[in-house]
Amino acid sequence: MIRKNFFRLSACVLLVGLTAMAGRAQESMTKTAVNVNKKMVKLFGIGGFKGLPSYGTGILVSEKGHILTVNNHILINPGILVHVYDGRRYQARVIAREPALDAAILEIDEEVVALPHYDFDQETARPTAENGDWILAMSNQFKIGVGDEPMSVQRGVIAAAADLRGRRGVFDAPYAGDVYFLDVIACNPGAAGGALVNRKGHLLGLLGRELKDTRIDTWINYAVPVQATAEVSREGKIEKVSLADFVKLGIQKKYKEGDKAIRVDKGGFHGITLVVKAVSSVPPYVEEVMLGSPADKAGLRPDDLILYVEGFSVPTITSFLDVMKQYGPGSDVDLQYQRGNKLEKVRLKLTDPPKVPAAN
Amino acid sequence: MRIPALACSLLLIAAAAVSAQPPMVVKSEADRVASIAKVKPAVVAVFARGGQGGGTGVLINKEGYALTNFHVVQPTGPTMQCGLADGVLYDGVVVGIDKVGDVALIKLLPKKVGDKVVFPNKEGEFPFAEMGNSDLVREGDWSIAMGNPFLVATDFTPTVTFGLVSGVHRYQPPAGIFLEYTDCIQIDTSINPGNSGGPLFNLKGEIIGINGRGSFDKRGRINSGVGYAISINQIKNFMGHLQAGIDTDHASLGALVRSEVEKVGIGRAKVTVVLEDSDVARRGLIEDDVVMSFAGRQITSDNHYKNIVGIFPRGWRLPLEYKRGDTQKEILVRLMGIQRKEINDGAAPPPDNKQPPKGKGGPQGEGAKFYEPKPGYANFYFNRQEKQRVFTAFKKISDLSKNTGDWNIEGTVRQLNAVANSPSLFEIKEKGATTTTTVKLGPFVDKLDEPVDNTKEARMVPRGSGGLAAAIYLWRTMLTAGEKGFTECVHGGMEPLYPPPGVGIGDKKWMDQRVDADVLNTVKGVYHTKWFFARSDQKLLGMEVRVGDLSDEPCEVYFSDYKEVNGRQLPHRIQVFHKDVHYGTFTITKHDLK
Repeated sequence: MIRKNFFRLSACVLLVGLTAMAGRAQESMTKTAVNVNKKMVKLFGIGGFKGLPSYGTGILVSEKGHILTVNNHILINPGILVHVYDGRRYQARVIAREPALDAAILEIDEEVVALPHYDFDQETARPTAENGDWILAMSNQFKIGVGDEPMSVQRGVIAAAADLRGRRGVFDAPYAGDVYFLDVIACNPGAAGGALVNRKGHLLGLLGRELKDTRIDTWINYAVPVQATAEVSREGKIEKVSLADFVKLGIQKKYKEGDKAIRVDKGGFHGITLVVKAVSSVPPYVEEVMLGSPADKAGLRPDDLILYVEGFSVPTITSFLDVMKQYGPGSDVDLQYQRGNKLEKVRLKLTDPPKVPAAN
Repeated sequence: MRIPALACSLLLIAAAAVSAQPPMVVKSEADRVASIAKVKPAVVAVFARGGQGGGTGVLINKEGYALTNFHVVQPTGPTMQCGLADGVLYDGVVVGIDKVGDVALIKLLPKKVGDKVVFPNKEGEFPFAEMGNSDLVREGDWSIAMGNPFLVATDFTPTVTFGLVSGVHRYQPPAGIFLEYTDCIQIDTSINPGNSGGPLFNLKGEIIGINGRGSFDKRGRINSGVGYAISINQIKNFMGHLQAGIDTDHASLGALVRSEVEKVGIGRAKVTVVLEDSDVARRGLIEDDVVMSFAGRQITSDNHYKNIVGIFPRGWRLPLEYKRGDTQKEILVRLMGIQRKEINDGAAPPPDNKQPPKGKGGPQGEGAKFYEPKPGYANFYFNRQEKQRVFTAFKKISDLSKNTGDWNIEGTVRQLNAVANSPSLFEIKEKGATTTTTVKLGPFVDKLDEPVDNTKEARMVPRGSGGLAAAIYLWRTMLTAGEKGFTECVHGGMEPLYPPPGVGIGDKKWMDQRVDADVLNTVKGVYHTKWFFARSDQKLLGMEVRVGDLSDEPCEVYFSDYKEVNGRQLPHRIQVFHKDVHYGTFTITKHDLK
């Protein structure tokens, strides 16, 4: 639904956005930028490999130096270097993580007081931002600043508030849920954990990672709303956690991270075995269909050639498998395939994988 | 079904908002449109001859001078073609270049039909944009970029993009030693290939920067939301050099500085290394000193330091404040070059291997008539022009070309630590090929016979002055013979001069005494002289004479208290300094110039 109507929606968004911008065109954003900058920190940790930056951005959420940021690779090692807005430098360490929210809380190792910060409860109590709202994105992208040099500030519009399909093969993000998609190129290296604010400097969200849609080779720019929630599994039970709870409990060192098991491959079971992938460009010909599987029920047969999944072309086995990973158990998936000279269409209802005995 | 309905209602809201905008909104939009319309004619589409490659530029005066990036003119060579929004393609020629700063000054030539200038008008006057003050720009301010991204406009009409200033005083390291962006302006205003060299305007339509690069990383060389413009104030520092056709160099202080952070605390810029042969070493800076400010700006980190040092040309003298223990001191430092190792600020830049830009097939078209290659220069033609300008104006103030006889200049002198004034006399006599210059200070008499005295010691009289007799001899040469009195005479661009107030050094801050001066560099025998003419009225304000070694401390002579004598402006106060020490202040009572 969302994808289908996205373009119509974004056209309106654009119009509203332009109107909003014109009204504020002559007004400098300096004051807001300077105020928000004081509540932000530059982070330096692990990186420098595989094109991953060793730096990032964070937001102060307590006067004692608790920092909310993205739970990414720069936090792998416990010691993180923090530069506060006025140039002071501290060591900090991670005291809470929640991969499902893609968030982490750091604590400055020393006694500090009276740091400018966001009262996270107050920020989350505000309503969420709307499509077309005018925003500023602030971060230390590209590590342009060190010490007391201020964050970069960019302006843009919330193009859409929509579901981030944080699944492998599309957007490789741990967080899957509602995000703000931005029309400004804000998610550059090191921007993750930066602040998305409105014109008044109210915190709307946390800037996301560098994500590329592998299907269309396009980078996206998004922020996780401060009101974000996610489902985590704790001792087999699914619980809902909010970013606000995470921040509150995280600061108190009482937050319990969800079990890791929930974040494995989400792809549902279809029951299709494809031909052997001898070279990378082998098309997805059906080799076998498991009896009683969703594919069997839908009538797929060996030698069928799968052409489209949910309208996306799948010219190779790899692309078919990648796309299928997005659809979990219970999803309905439209497949188009070629049988002989005819183009056919079926709908599969994916299920949980059957309980198979241990490897034979 | 729900969403289309929502979409329609949004459309309605949007439409309503457009029609019911408050007057303030309508006005601000109209202002912006007016600003763009005003500066649009000044935006230049720069092409290599034959239409290959290209970038953008912006006209800064009616004579047709325009700024662009060095990396835009590098492939075009010394002559290029320039399209304006009027649709006319003009010939252009490179004037000056700044490889490190990625700036080039070019000149557009009025277009003739037959013998008559037709474009841009019959006076040949170009539309231009004013340069603003980039030090007033703050993050969060609005900015407008104009240029020719992706070379989309075949009729040369510039593309306008609008966005926010994301940061100021940014530092972007060089590629090698060139294209270092110091103290630059970061923008989210979209700039793409082809925008290079184009103007960044504030909302008033004043040029605040020249767009030149971006942070790209893995997204390809297109707008990544992070672009950089060279600040216009940096370019203003180099403008005198660029106008004089010089292949300019940036500067180093001759000391390395590292951000040092107390365990918890504000960063400090601590000196880690001082080059032995640097001016800053001679002024007394040593390792572990803390640099507090440079050129009037506070320094707390090495990025700050690089930013501030990076915006000045080599050879400039600028004040530096440092702290050692509890004492703070201010010194005036001569900046070293970074492209060439030796300090050579006495005369023409030495030949270097990096030639001015060369296009395929050399200079072509109308621009070729205004191009003269010379090592160390982007275009020596413009150096001659600038030199001529200085001499023409200077001659109007004090033409002494006929006074080639004996000179007697009487007065009194107050020397360092002296309790009272003593009588003084400068006497210059020419006899055959020998010129004798006599300096009398009270009972002491020193003589210099040129060119008979050929030891360095004999040429440095009076002792402790660094060569005052030679300076007086050269001063007379400049006043009587002008350019012809020297084996070499080139324009050295613009530099600040700090004329001492009254007697001695005084206690004013150096920055408060700064005067901008046109510089001429001359060579005569072993004497390398740097002359300072006021930019405002071309009065000779000072000279620095080096006898032999260019790395020696010069004899600094400052001329002031100009009064009319027989229809000519002549200085009635001459102050002499050597190695930061006040040697003497002369009060002239009588000029007897035969």
